[in-house]
This record gives sequence, structure tokens and C-alpha cells, in this order.
Amino acid sequence: MQIDVLEIEDTRAKLLIYDADPFIVNALRRTLMSDIPKMAIEEVDFHLGPIGTTEGGRVADGSSPLFDEIIAHRLGLIPIPTDLKRFNRRDECDHEPEKSCPLCTITYTLHKVGPCTVYSGDLEPINGPEFRPRDELIPIVELSEGQAIYITANAVLGTGKEHAKWQVTSGVGYKYYPSVTIDDSKCTDCRRCIEICPENVFEEMDGKVVVKNPENCSLCNTCVDECPDSIKVEGDRTKFIFSFETDGSLSAEETLKYALQHLADRFEALRESVSELK
Amino acid sequence: MIIPVRCFTCGKVIGSAYEPFRNRVENGEEPAKVLDDLGITRYCCRRMLLTHVDLIEEIKPFS
Repeated sequence: MQIDVLEIEDTRAKLLIYDADPFIVNALRRTLMSDIPKMAIEEVDFHLGPIGTTEGGRVADGSSPLFDEIIAHRLGLIPIPTDLKRFNRRDECDHEPEKSCPLCTITYTLHKVGPCTVYSGDLEPINGPEFRPRDELIPIVELSEGQAIYITANAVLGTGKEHAKWQVTSGVGYKYYPSVTIDDSKCTDCRRCIEICPENVFEEMDGKVVVKNPENCSLCNTCVDECPDSIKVEGDRTKFIFSFETDGSLSAEETLKYALQHLADRFEALRESVSELK
Repeated sequence: MIIPVRCFTCGKVIGSAYEPFRNRVENGEEPAKVLDDLGITRYCCRRMLLTHVDLIEEIKPFS
């Protein structure tokens, strides 16, 4: 299997994988979705009672229009910047699993008095400013006069297998590398294919219809239905266009490297246990 | 209610795009172009913003 990087940005990547089979590429897809660890908020403590005064001097109670469960869930879904070298899983950390330490937990506080909107950027990390959520504009809850929120929250390491909040990637998918050909001897230059192609694969050039962007093709065959004589669309079953994005907790590069290493380790573990069989 | 943090289908974070989206559409920009500009390309994520009804104002007085 060979991988070429077509495009890579901080949070998205597009790859060309060749000399591969669908099951291997699918193993990579599943690893990217469910086996990459990242930090996410897991425990939230809500402080009740009077926790602040509004500008008019009114005492604000620790209460909000949404149920505490909803707020805790929304906090869990916020991407937390993760340094995989720095953190252990809590159950693998050097203490009892009920306890926490700075090697397995990031602690946040959030204190805001209404009227206001509470954003992800209002989370204050105690471990250091590098753990402030990069996406600062996610609304968590809106507060009106007399309402306030004061919470402490702990983020721990987990994987997408356990809960979707620990899923690093989204939109992970691949397609066969498309090849689109026009048989010029049978093409009538009716230009219907240019009109109906949803991915803008065809273009007119010097009065002839040509294949302009073959990589855009989604193998939907709409053009073949319209023009079965001259257009031929095929997918190469050993070559794939693979794309994914991350939620910002890890970069696309880190995620891909971790996934490939993780897959190799798992295959190696399998090989070892098979070789021990008699 | 309040805009969901993530797309129900694919899990992309869309909560942070809601306020820029709403402000720009209220200023007369075309919703499709704003979504493209905000990097929300899949139709699962686009419907999250397009079909959202913000009812948090209605329940805000209650706690």
C-alpha cells in the first residue's frame, strides 16, 4: 500500500492510496473513527446556591434554562486540544482508577453571571493556557438576569469506541479512483453530459466535450444513463481517494500518523499471537 | 432550542458557525454562500444550521 498526500491542512486531509484493497482502506477508515484517543470533558460538577451578583446588585443563583445534563453533554462535545505524548488514559495511570492527576486529567472552571451567552471560550483550564478550547464560539447556554453558572469539569482521554465525544475525525470516506472516458467516434457533442453531471466532470473545449475533472467523479453513472454509447465510467479497485477531517483536538497529520501506527501495531500483535499457535 | 454543538450525522462541530451564519444571513448574504465560506460542505451539516429554530429565548426566563 502506498499513500500520497493530495491536500493536507490543519484539520482536513485528502489522500491518494494505491496498490491497496478495499478492506485495508476500510480498516484505516474504522481506525480513524474509533481508535484515536483524545481528551473530552467527562465529569462536570455544578455549584448551586448564590454564586455571583449581577451589575444591579442582585444575587444570582447557580441555575440556567437548560437541564444540567444537557449542559454537561454539550461540554463533553467541545473539542479539547490534546497532546497524546503528555497524557495517559486514567485507568492506565499510576494511581487508583477513581482518582485523578495532572497526567490523566485536565481540569476546567467556568464561572459566568447572566444576562449573557456562555461560550466554549469561557472555559478556564487550570493545567495551562494551551488547553483552552481552540473553537471559542460554541454556545453552551444562554443565561438571563438572576441566573449564573459555576462549574468545574474534568477532561480525560478516551476513544470513539466508548462515546462519540471522543471521536477525533468526521466525514471519513473513500471512493475508487474514477476513470471517465468519452469515445469521440460515437460522441454527438450534444452536451447533455455537461448539463447533468452533478460534479462538473465534463467541459466544452474547442467545440468538443472533454473530461476536465475526472477526480471529481462520484461514479454516479448519471452520464452513462444519458449516453450509454460513448461515455464509460469505471472505478479502479486498487486505487482510492480518501478524505477525512478532524474536530481540531488533533491535527490531521498527527491523527493519520497515529492511525497508521496503531493499525501496524494491531496487525503485529495478531501476527505474534498466531505464530504462538501450535 | 439552542444550536447543537455537533452535526447529528457526521459529528463535525457546527455550533461555533451558528452566530456568524445568522449574522451574515440577516445582513442579506445568501445562505448557501455563507455555508460554503464557513467550510460547511456536507448536506448533513448544512441542514443543522439551515433548519435550526432558536427557541432558547422562549425558555430563558425559567430555570
